Amino acid sequence: MERINNISLKGLLPRVFAQNQDAGRNRASDVWLGNVTFERGQRYMITAESGSGKSSLCSYLYGHRNDYEGVVSFDDSDISAFDSNHWSKLRREHISLLPQEMRLFPELTVMENIELKNSLTNYKSTQEIETMLARLEIEDKKSELVGLLSIGQQQRVAIVRALCQPMDYLLLDEPVSHLDERANRLVASLVEEEITKQQSALIVTSVGNPLLIKAQAMKL
Amino acid sequence: MAFRVNKIVWQLLRRNISQSQMIGYAVANLVGLIIVLTAIQFYQDVKSMQGNDDAFISARYIVISKRVQGLGSLLGPRAEFSQEEVSEIAAQPWAEEVGTFTASAFSVYASVELASKYMSTALFFESIPDEFFDVKPSDWTFDPAGSTMIPIIIPKDYLALYNFGFAASKGLPQISEEMVQMIPINIRIGDNFRHQAFTGRIVGFSSRLNTIAVPELFMQWANAQYATTPIAMPSRLIVKAHDPGDKAMIDYIENHEYEIAGNALNSGKIMAMLSLVTVIVVVVGIVISLLAFFILLLSIHLLLQKNREKLRNLMLLGYTSAEVARYYHLLVASINATVLIVALIVVSVVRLWWLNILQTIGEPQGGMSLTIMLSILAMILITTFNLNSISRHTRDTLSKK
Repeated sequence: MERINNISLKGLLPRVFAQNQDAGRNRASDVWLGNVTFERGQRYMITAESGSGKSSLCSYLYGHRNDYEGVVSFDDSDISAFDSNHWSKLRREHISLLPQEMRLFPELTVMENIELKNSLTNYKSTQEIETMLARLEIEDKKSELVGLLSIGQQQRVAIVRALCQPMDYLLLDEPVSHLDERANRLVASLVEEEITKQQSALIVTSVGNPLLIKAQAMKL
Repeated sequence: MAFRVNKIVWQLLRRNISQSQMIGYAVANLVGLIIVLTAIQFYQDVKSMQGNDDAFISARYIVISKRVQGLGSLLGPRAEFSQEEVSEIAAQPWAEEVGTFTASAFSVYASVELASKYMSTALFFESIPDEFFDVKPSDWTFDPAGSTMIPIIIPKDYLALYNFGFAASKGLPQISEEMVQMIPINIRIGDNFRHQAFTGRIVGFSSRLNTIAVPELFMQWANAQYATTPIAMPSRLIVKAHDPGDKAMIDYIENHEYEIAGNALNSGKIMAMLSLVTVIVVVVGIVISLLAFFILLLSIHLLLQKNREKLRNLMLLGYTSAEVARYYHLLVASINATVLIVALIVVSVVRLWWLNILQTIGEPQGGMSLTIMLSILAMILITTFNLNSISRHTRDTLSKK
């Protein structure tokens, strides 16, 4: 499958907003009800108040939810036509998502959580994974159960996991909400390096603690 | 993508598997399968014995005679079948073929020298058409031009009568079937004026032909040559029945006050009963297996519900529902394979026990190949159903957004 170069949104709106008739807020958004294209190689920082639907946006782009109105297309294909096997392929080779709630498995160790993804893609070597953990200063936690880590540490594990695959688009939903500025910069440099290397697009959301990376600002 | 067992995924999915539910399923399935297989195997073993208690005439043949009433044979009509009666029986739907017994219309004397004791007796012969033999005894023929040897079949009971009654009380040696077959019997047919000598040889024993049978060729020839009385109408018929346990046939025979010789009918009834019991037992076994099947479905359903969040997270990582379902497939397939093997072992052990008992009344033939084949087939069927429903449940669980 070719790389995805454009993700375009036409008149996209979560169904729940359409029912609320909250017209004023929807019109003020750069994304909802607009005509937006995310190009590969670009970086987008979507700032939003909580409840404005940023996690919904990430879920739509990741094929996890489809409770929206409007059309989302990858290049020229309407994603509502994709079946679950197609989405599996996309999630292994084209789109990576770091969900806000991280969705790690607390009963597995840090390394096992990452291996769970990496064994699907065989994208990173153990050495590379360990280097990434080291750069985020959690290498000493690699054999610990994720359930025993702090939220900030879990967030960094989830970031490493999200980078263990080939990707055209990297979706990070509030990736640094529990990290201090120092850790934020470490994450930003790791992400920067990976998306540059892979020539991917970055779509990152924030409700107040933005990832410290240069990106085109959009308001949701 | 080729499937390989990912230890981490298995570790994750196995966590909520209820061991007691899986054991419950395995045990229930095992019990059901053992019941079904035992019933099938037992039926086969008993059936295989039924066939070999008479090598010449199969169980489908019954011998019918008329009941001899009080002084009937002196005063009224003799217990013979008229031509009309024979045709009527032949026309019955349960009768495939009807043959008549031809009795000898000449005198027969037989003598034998045994352990230097000389015995002689007046005898009679009967014959039935050759096509009623399933297996013809060797030398079952007669050539009036050349042979002086008459092959004879006698009822099994005669030998038992001799061995356990006569020989025991007279201090004579007991003799086996093989020995009897080697003893030449001097036979003279005809009267004092015109007679001919033959050597008779017993070539077989039958539990269904309750007569002293000779080849029909010999009978025809001897009746033509030496008949001293008019050739009588047959007093006994041999009928090849479609099903020896047929209710219509039993009713017909009772209504016409005929009698059935030997236990052919009983063994037919017993086989019918055995078939019925086997069917009931197999049905019970299948019901238990079906219940087990539902236990499994319920258990898997619960498991998927409990693991729903995990399964979704795996999907978000890029796993397909088929990849996830395969771990449960592997689990169920290995349980089923174990159940199959244990069930076959149990059945073969239990079979040894009943074979010992059956061997005291006959020689069961055949092995377990049919049972093994059936059980493998059944297990493949069950497993296919199991796996399909797991795949469906997994998809359903994951598709709810």
